Amino acid sequence: MDRMELERTFSIAAKRELEARDFYTAVAEKCHDAAMRELFEKLAADETGHFELLEKFRADPAKVMKIAAPESDWKIAESQELPVPNADMKPKDAIALAMKREQQAVEFYRALAASASADTKDIFENLANMELTHKHRLERLFIDVGYPEVF
Amino acid sequence: MIGSDTTEAHPVISYYIKRAVKRGATLIVNDPRKIDLTRWATLHVPLKVGTDIAYLNGLMNELFKNGWAREDFLRSCTENPDSIREWVKDYPVETASKICGVPVETMKKVAKILGEAKTTSVCYTLGITEHICGTDNVKTLANLQMVLGNMGKYAGGVNPLRGQNNVQGACDMGALPNVFHNYQPVNNKEISKKMADAWGVAQLPQTPGYAMPTMLRKALDGGTKILYCVGDNTVHSEPNMAHTIKEIKALEFFVVCDIFPNLTTPYADVIFPDTSWGEEDGTFTNTERRVSRVRKALVPPGEARSHWWVLQELGKRLGKDLGFSSANAVWEDMRKTATSYGGITWERIENIGLQWPCPTVEHPGTPFLHRDGKFARGKGLFSHTDWVPQAEPPDEEYPFILSTGRRLWHYHTGTQTRNSIGFNDIFGEELLEIHPDDARKLGIKSGDIVRATTRRGSITLKAWVTDRSAPGLVWSSFHFEEACSNVLTIDRFDPITETPEYKACAVRVEKVGDGKTVLGEGMVRRQARP
Repeated sequence: MDRMELERTFSIAAKRELEARDFYTAVAEKCHDAAMRELFEKLAADETGHFELLEKFRADPAKVMKIAAPESDWKIAESQELPVPNADMKPKDAIALAMKREQQAVEFYRALAASASADTKDIFENLANMELTHKHRLERLFIDVGYPEVF
Repeated sequence: MIGSDTTEAHPVISYYIKRAVKRGATLIVNDPRKIDLTRWATLHVPLKVGTDIAYLNGLMNELFKNGWAREDFLRSCTENPDSIREWVKDYPVETASKICGVPVETMKKVAKILGEAKTTSVCYTLGITEHICGTDNVKTLANLQMVLGNMGKYAGGVNPLRGQNNVQGACDMGALPNVFHNYQPVNNKEISKKMADAWGVAQLPQTPGYAMPTMLRKALDGGTKILYCVGDNTVHSEPNMAHTIKEIKALEFFVVCDIFPNLTTPYADVIFPDTSWGEEDGTFTNTERRVSRVRKALVPPGEARSHWWVLQELGKRLGKDLGFSSANAVWEDMRKTATSYGGITWERIENIGLQWPCPTVEHPGTPFLHRDGKFARGKGLFSHTDWVPQAEPPDEEYPFILSTGRRLWHYHTGTQTRNSIGFNDIFGEELLEIHPDDARKLGIKSGDIVRATTRRGSITLKAWVTDRSAPGLVWSSFHFEEACSNVLTIDRFDPITETPEYKACAVRVEKVGDGKTVLGEGMVRRQARP
């Protein structure tokens, strides 16, 4: 893969992470509840972390990007509807929103991998794995907040 | 352990507790009675009946005072932790001790053990919930565990030991007045529409129903006209039996499904012969949210039919055929709309059960929730709870407190175990447990016939003079219809859950015959019914 193509691939990925960061920051600013604001700020910080990770790979082309998929894909995001962001979101909806976005990212990179050249396919698959790991982490969190036994 | 006579009511769980003690766990048994589990305990804390809130608030006061509260957990996982710090300042151990009767030094010792422990698990049962302040009791336990940072940790948490093998499953499936299965509120328009669409009906009622006590109470003013009762011996199990009978008699139509005649069936207009646990296919969900298969081992006798079949036949006659062909078909239909059960198929639990939430078939189930203090509402919320006295404190006329519970050998109203020769041979009649000091004052010996009387009725039974009961406290179970404690218990309820205050009412005890008295017919150990 030439340097230009590599740059283009990482630019796509980095842009997505920054967009996600900005999205969560914007939602955090609108949240009425302090705990929810904190949660969205944490999600925004996570996206910044993802962006920085990508930048490390971009800065060092010699480094082989190898991100393993999590041991299992629980597909919880896939079982949920995408919530509409609002200022009074509950933790369940906030986490659902985040994991749905990660699911979309996984699907995005998998689609790119499917149509990519042999050179770039591997990178897109690794990026899909990275997003899958994020999705898995959020799904674990969703389990803790998404099924309250309230009556 | 608090408010749980575990060896009697949850013998399997008590085995694990004893095993943990053998492996080095510290066991604190908080119970007004010297229950069997105290033999295994590092410490038995005999707090007075119904004083849990004062006791627990006192412990929290001591935890804060000595720097044992988990400040990191309070800061990162709870909302406004200073509020609880301030609240329990009204409960220094000296004050709490006067209310709960536990010596100050014992309270300090308990606080030290809890404060220095890496992890503490709190288990409770009906000794906590069967009070007019039952909800507040549970909230106070949650406060304690948050102060100790024990939420969302393996082997931590606030653990209710469920009263029956499938009470968790019954609640999960919406056997509650205000939610569909999976705790989906009936008064939520979107959810109501979702369920109406799923079940193929135009609309569903969106007004929450009544809890059991309200259901019965409203029979007296026509608010409840029909009662359909499945596997619940209502007359026997509700408090203040005489009043319960009056309420049931006021119903226009009463249907009972049960496996044997009992105290309730004579009042039924229609009785459906029910299946027992060995005659049903299905699942049980136990106290750890584990869904396990139960399999049909016997063909039901006579006209007895499965619950789902009876309900489906009723549906047909009311104009709606649900079209199920088996219990598994009902399960599969439920899975579509109960996300926490969504990934639990009968195939997956063929050998060992799964714990919900298990939303997808890829998910392995969830042994414990709220990992690292992640709560459903975000941050944990402290409740400010105050001790309140029992609804009916003892007085000159009724000087003792009656508390009630379970015995190992019998199950609830005895519809099953009183029909078992073996159990009745081992434990064939009810006893009133009374402390030796009180018995001496009343001239009572073990085996004497005594009458226990409250403002609601009287029962006659044998006395068991034992230091299992604290002075001033007498105790009996509700298993035996010949001497049922629910003739005596008070129909006062927790305002939120409407759980009756079975654990405390005022009672008078008198000797009516010595140990050689020939028991009346109702007191004779009866033969098991065919």
